[in-house]
Amino acid sequence: MANIIACYKWVLDEQDIKITAGSLALDTGRAKSKISEYDKNAIEEAVLQAEKCDAMVTSLTFGNSKAKQSIKDALSRGPAKAYWVNDAAADIADGFVTANVLTAAIKKIGEYDVILFGEGSADTYGQQVGPRVATLLGIPVITFVAEITITGNSVTATRKIGDCTEVVTAEFPVAITVLPEINKPRIPSLKQVLGAAKKPSTELSMADLGLATDDITPKNKVKSIKGFVMNRKNIMYKDGTPEEKVNALIASLTKEGAL
Amino acid sequence: MAGIWVYSEDNIVEQQLLTIGRSLADSLEEPLVAINIMEDNSLDLILRGADRVIVIEGNSVLPESYAKPIAEIAGKERPTTFLIGGTLRGKEVAAKIAAYLSVGLVNSALSIKVIDGNLETERIMYGGLAICTEILAPVSIVTIEPRTYDAAQGDPSRTGKTEKITVEVEEIVKVGNVCPIIKQGADITTAEKIICVGRGLAKQADMKLAQDLADKLGAEIGCTRSVAEDYHWLPNETYIGLSGQKVKPQLYISMGVSGQVQHTAGIRDSKIIVAIDTNENAPIFSAADYGIVGDLYDIVPLLTEKIVK
Repeated sequence: MANIIACYKWVLDEQDIKITAGSLALDTGRAKSKISEYDKNAIEEAVLQAEKCDAMVTSLTFGNSKAKQSIKDALSRGPAKAYWVNDAAADIADGFVTANVLTAAIKKIGEYDVILFGEGSADTYGQQVGPRVATLLGIPVITFVAEITITGNSVTATRKIGDCTEVVTAEFPVAITVLPEINKPRIPSLKQVLGAAKKPSTELSMADLGLATDDITPKNKVKSIKGFVMNRKNIMYKDGTPEEKVNALIASLTKEGAL
Repeated sequence: MAGIWVYSEDNIVEQQLLTIGRSLADSLEEPLVAINIMEDNSLDLILRGADRVIVIEGNSVLPESYAKPIAEIAGKERPTTFLIGGTLRGKEVAAKIAAYLSVGLVNSALSIKVIDGNLETERIMYGGLAICTEILAPVSIVTIEPRTYDAAQGDPSRTGKTEKITVEVEEIVKVGNVCPIIKQGADITTAEKIICVGRGLAKQADMKLAQDLADKLGAEIGCTRSVAEDYHWLPNETYIGLSGQKVKPQLYISMGVSGQVQHTAGIRDSKIIVAIDTNENAPIFSAADYGIVGDLYDIVPLLTEKIVK
């Protein structure tokens, strides 16, 4: 039986983040968390593939103590068991740190044939953890994948890379990063949500993984994270007839030389 | 003299990297080194600003498989920063090199500058909501998306060194069929004018409204993610946003687009942004230069009619 690991990140929902006027600081006080959108595609694909080829799906995340809440959501999407590396280092982890932690956790889990990742996370969109983990494990990676077929011990994947598609084949074990278009993640049913509570989950600590301080220290220094403000003219035409509004717009665009 | 390094598997993108690479190399007084794989473009790279070109010749036709030999060379010389063209192939190579070297990687940097002797990058977070500024540690890798900078111009008086390295590349994946994606329209990433369609459009047949306006203006048509991915009214390569296409037209007109940050992140470099939507509180209006609050079914046909060709 093949073993598929789907990695995901528990992130703040960006729709709930407010920008403080003046300082442009991010106010995350009222932000709820969610499984990063692209990683939902990774979990869904793992489960869809397992249905076709009799595989066992394991979900894996690295997060702080609050990420515990994510396990039930992840398991209700279909994996048979969950692993969670619990450490506050996740709060400031960069791609280097996250890849080190996930790689150590995957080695600890031990059995893996296919490891799935989203192409990037919804918060930092660093777009690097999948290929980094593959490199650290010394296994092939296929990135930006729109379609996967597993046959025996090999994976055939269609990549979509800019102006071409490319069909790539690799033998187990292999890491894959998926594009959002690969599937439509399910909305778990009540039965699946209730069933998730009965599935096994394992909490790992940094001590279990045997990583050195350097391995969990981010490389670059974050100087600031500030709200992005678009400086635009914000001229609005909201009163008057459609004709008046269109005339006013055309006059402005003509003056700008934009037409 | 660790150097500023640039690499892209795409020649045009590498020419763009030479522009920012030359400027960083001059301010830090370090040499500019260009990596070149598969074919020898060293003369062109030198004329466009490289002080030194390392040509890597190998047996693979897959650019991604050169990550390891590039990492081995970079590991010996430890460049101050290594700029890699942010194509999708380039991002995979960058992540692998970063893993081999145990260094940081900033993907899709909007800018890279020397500030107080350090290199600083800016990049987007939270789907376009925020900008993260980072101070780079030595040997950091930075990817820069195509067209962020103009291509460096050649100067026939420039000189530089070229060295060739032959490598044996281990191919652990097999590449089968490579097919160009046939674009159904023109490339919106280079369009001068764009009409963007959002969910405010009720049905696919109404795409004609956008088409008529586009024909009148000589514009290309783009859309939001759900119009492409959920409704399939337009091909996936025409959706604009953080995970889709980033556009920089002279004029962008949206119709029925609410303007979630993931979308507006893809239009931020547009010169003039016009929004048409019924909801005056839609976030698109705060990202727009000009906005019409109104029903696109009234406004767009009038606009098409009144624009003088």
